[in-house]
Amino acid sequence: MWKILAGLVFGVAVALFGGYSYFPSLMFTERVSPFGVEETVARIQQNIQASNKGWTLSGLRNAAKPIEKDGGNVLPVLMIEACSTRYSGPILKDDTLRFLSILMPCKISVYKKSDGKVYIGTMNASLIGAMFGSKVGTIMKEVAEDQQSFLKFDPTKPAPKMIEGMPGGGGGGAGAGSAGGC
Amino acid sequence: MLKKARIALLALAAGAALTAVAATAPSVAATATAAKPAPASQSPATVPAAPVAVPAAAAPNPVPLLAERSPEYKKPGSTADHGKFKELQKTFKTGPDVTKACLACHTEAGHQVQHTKHWTWAVVNPQNKQNLGKKNVINNYCTSPISNEKDCMACHAGYGWTDGQFDFSKEENVDCLICHDSTGTYRKLPGDAGHPVYERREFPPGSGKFVEAADLTKIAQNVGRPSRRNCGSCHFYGAGGDGTKHGDLDSSLNKPGKYLDVHMDAEGLNFNCSTCHATKGHQVAGSRYQMDAALKGGVHTRGKADESPASCQSCHGNKPHKSKLSLLNDHTEKLACQTCHIPEFARDAIGTEMSWDWSTATKTMAPDGKPILVKDSAGRRSYDSKKGNFVWDSYVIPRYTWFNGKMDYKTLGDKIDPSKVVAINTPGGTAGDPDSRIWPMKVHTGKQAYDPVNKTLIVTHTAGEDETSLWHNFDWKKAIGTGMKAANLPWSGEYGFVSTEMWWPITHMVAPKQDALSCEQCHSDNGRLKGITGVYLPGRDHHRILDLIGGTISLLALLGALIHGGLRCCFIGRKGK
Repeated sequence: MWKILAGLVFGVAVALFGGYSYFPSLMFTERVSPFGVEETVARIQQNIQASNKGWTLSGLRNAAKPIEKDGGNVLPVLMIEACSTRYSGPILKDDTLRFLSILMPCKISVYKKSDGKVYIGTMNASLIGAMFGSKVGTIMKEVAEDQQSFLKFDPTKPAPKMIEGMPGGGGGGAGAGSAGGC
Repeated sequence: MLKKARIALLALAAGAALTAVAATAPSVAATATAAKPAPASQSPATVPAAPVAVPAAAAPNPVPLLAERSPEYKKPGSTADHGKFKELQKTFKTGPDVTKACLACHTEAGHQVQHTKHWTWAVVNPQNKQNLGKKNVINNYCTSPISNEKDCMACHAGYGWTDGQFDFSKEENVDCLICHDSTGTYRKLPGDAGHPVYERREFPPGSGKFVEAADLTKIAQNVGRPSRRNCGSCHFYGAGGDGTKHGDLDSSLNKPGKYLDVHMDAEGLNFNCSTCHATKGHQVAGSRYQMDAALKGGVHTRGKADESPASCQSCHGNKPHKSKLSLLNDHTEKLACQTCHIPEFARDAIGTEMSWDWSTATKTMAPDGKPILVKDSAGRRSYDSKKGNFVWDSYVIPRYTWFNGKMDYKTLGDKIDPSKVVAINTPGGTAGDPDSRIWPMKVHTGKQAYDPVNKTLIVTHTAGEDETSLWHNFDWKKAIGTGMKAANLPWSGEYGFVSTEMWWPITHMVAPKQDALSCEQCHSDNGRLKGITGVYLPGRDHHRILDLIGGTISLLALLGALIHGGLRCCFIGRKGK
């Protein structure tokens, strides 16, 4: 009997360890951008604005700026914030789900690493949404699909201008918060 | 109730998962939807459409605020108030008029300046007697000042250099104010052959921005030691725009934060350029034409004889790290200080130009036939009908190479091999050379015109309003004909474009010590120094036999410990019985 119990405990421990190790890669995605930091941001912003699903840009935050202000250095990190009332509305109307406002607005992060390449980081909205029941799961699945469409680039189109100075504080992350969309 | 409990449980689980995730970097690295990079025309690139070197051209307000002026402005403690000098109590109409007044007291200054590279734009390489200096080399940006003097000489410390006939012996043509103005109002624009702005005018033409005429009397009465702005009015704007040329020099250094340059930090040490580039008789130390890449010895005391004080070792010595970090001191035998302490260059939104492709110049014009200017996502120049395509970047990871301080330059008339990328300059140095160190570099690439028959790079007459100027007539053949004639070089009448590259040692924008490269950034398989050869780098380099021996020893040690421990357990058990 104790052998079965020990095997079960061992199996659970291995599964937990596997999940613990593997889970992070499921929760977030990271991909290489073929463009520079600013151009990547500008193209994503352009795609968000071109979307017909109620998405609006609500901020561009530069997470590196406050660190520079404190005398330190980090490679550029720009966070594009966007929101669609079509998705945020139903969640915010439900008192049992309002705490999920902590996930708003949607963020797409564009950053450079020491290898000189530019990366795009996103949250796996679909997976995270599924953890909060069918209502949120359905909404977040659509958000995830939209998010993927924001990351489709057409290199034959000229580089648009990066949009700064939005409520999120394009000048260094000290903004007062997001106003557009959410 | 059940629903609430379920949600709460899920939220807790998600929170725990998120907390776990926060400490771990995501491991999935896919390739973005767009597989191909944008063509250069759509790639990153600031700067006005105006031609060539433009000191402070991008500044919308030509007159800086008092607080932004040089620290020497009206600084108490000076023993002389130039405003009280009789020689300066008059109205000056031209720059040379001011110089004459300066020379009345500073009798040797003109002569001294005339022996500097700032005046001659020429230097002889002591190793191979190669004629270098701006006058003789071709660069990877505007290429050559020859036949373009009226524009390029906006950055010459002199007045009136319009062509090859300039009189280098005339002391009154030395421009004192470009280095000694402390009002921040002295500006020289392209097209004036080094003269300041004498009459208010719109610049760049058609921009709606105006540059005020220099008040030469006021400026002459307020001279001081060169500030960062003085040096930066040329060196920050080299190649026609802010940050364009060097990568580690741009207008952000006028008033930098600690993060950008720990020495020049405006709120901290507040070094001027001349703090390191100490000057004696107007000879400025630290020229890139005569670098010493491997200085040795202890700290030099300022003011004492010092051949090359513009180095880190001048102040920090050759063993700069404290005892607990003394292992790092061993690195100074192989690494330049800059390699670790300037982890990236162009660490600001200004960025730096990484590529200039002349081959697309004149190719795309507006429907009305006028030149166009296209900017990139960051607002930097991306395409200019007059100049071609540009690629810009910021926070650039340097390229690393062995460097002994000596560059081999392509000079006017040198033969090239157009089947390969033409190195405008090649850093000297090898792993075994005691004078070599691993240095961080900016490598600027591009395409520029060459003569396919004579196999030489070409001098093009770009600037000017005459009939043969490229930026006026957009006719390459006419422009090359004039340029090559002015340079006194043979030209077959044919032209093509060849790929080029130019290396720039990085020495400015020194980060605070906590931001220096960490060990694993080099000592790893894909670390910063992966391209460096001739040196064994632990963590990057592997030796199969050594690895096998090490692995075997570790395994045996582990086995030994296990056996030893097992035996002890057995004996303890038996003792108990």
